[in-house]
Amino acid sequence: MENFSALFGGAEPPPATAAAALGFGPAKAAGAGAAPPPAAAVPPPGEDAAHKAAAGPFYLLRELPGSTELTGSTNLITHYNLEHAYNKFCGKKVKEKLSNFLPDLPGMIDLPGSHDNSSLRSLIEKPPICGSSFTPLTGTMLTGFRLHAGPLPEQCRLMHIQPPKKKNKHKHKQSRTQDPVPPETPSDSDHKKKKKKKEEDPERKRKKKEKKKKKNRHSPEHPGVGSSQASSSSSLR
Amino acid sequence: MTEKPCHLPRMRGGPEAVRAAMAMAEKFDSLEEHLEKFVENIRQLGIIVSDFQPSSQAGLNQKLNFMVTGLQDIDKCRQQLHDISVPLEVFEYIDQGRNPQLYTKECLERALAKNEQVKGKIDTMKKFKSLLIQELTKVFPEDMAKYKAIRGEDPPP
Repeated sequence: MENFSALFGGAEPPPATAAAALGFGPAKAAGAGAAPPPAAAVPPPGEDAAHKAAAGPFYLLRELPGSTELTGSTNLITHYNLEHAYNKFCGKKVKEKLSNFLPDLPGMIDLPGSHDNSSLRSLIEKPPICGSSFTPLTGTMLTGFRLHAGPLPEQCRLMHIQPPKKKNKHKHKQSRTQDPVPPETPSDSDHKKKKKKKEEDPERKRKKKEKKKKKNRHSPEHPGVGSSQASSSSSLR
Repeated sequence: MTEKPCHLPRMRGGPEAVRAAMAMAEKFDSLEEHLEKFVENIRQLGIIVSDFQPSSQAGLNQKLNFMVTGLQDIDKCRQQLHDISVPLEVFEYIDQGRNPQLYTKECLERALAKNEQVKGKIDTMKKFKSLLIQELTKVFPEDMAKYKAIRGEDPPP
């Protein structure tokens, strides 16, 4: 460290002696230097002085790395012709929700995939085991899809609920009747008339359905909710 | 879907590159179309099932078979797009219900920020080098003259 201060500290040590102390001089001066060179891999100067003659006094001098045309100092966005993409994505505001990217996709797609077991991650980690070919369903197979007539229980209707679209905010109440939802039973419409405003929140809808599910299990009006569920699932086999 | 999920960069290389880009866009269009039809079929299937009538049985059977043929068509599209890679991080965005374009946006922003950071480092190192040579030349003129002779006239970038 004293040699560094000798270089930058003051004018007292003449350049020649300072240089000698640092090992810039000929090989003999380096051996007498108080600060040996930091690189331990360097061979003793006395032995390889002949070899290092080509490099002159700079025996620590290495070959520079090859120069490349493309470095971080160039604008890589321009280099790879991505200005259009940059302006498109970073110039204007990109909407946060998935439904803004896929507006025509039915169902509640803004919910996290972990909630209803529809995540892509789970598909990658545990891919479904399926056959190699797709064969059309034969008549015998289609007999398994003979369904019972009548509406589905409330909890199975989840897929028809679309998230409210922000564009039609003012006309939201009017447009609700125009949604492609199947005709509702009288009991459902009564509930919906009472709680129309609150139903905009999907989480509240889900909680409501869970409550109804619990109610229906105990109510005398729907004695066979559990059995009807089983029958609907069996009919869809 | 009005907007393609994949955005092709502007390509250099003349008409061949343009034709290749258009062919790729057609493959994506074809897959998108099949997926849209499949999803629409499933949605209609759900509507039929939600309030089933016996007269709807034939329609239901037809839609079930369309589900199979739809999957066949989508599977055929797979071969044309086998060389397309999708970064796994995009799936994280989709699983959280977020727009995947945000991933592209954040990638570009991160790339630009890193580019600027590295450029700053390179510029600072260049300035430091020139200053160091300048000061060393004042203190060790003969040695620096030898150094410059060894390094040559062209300083490395």
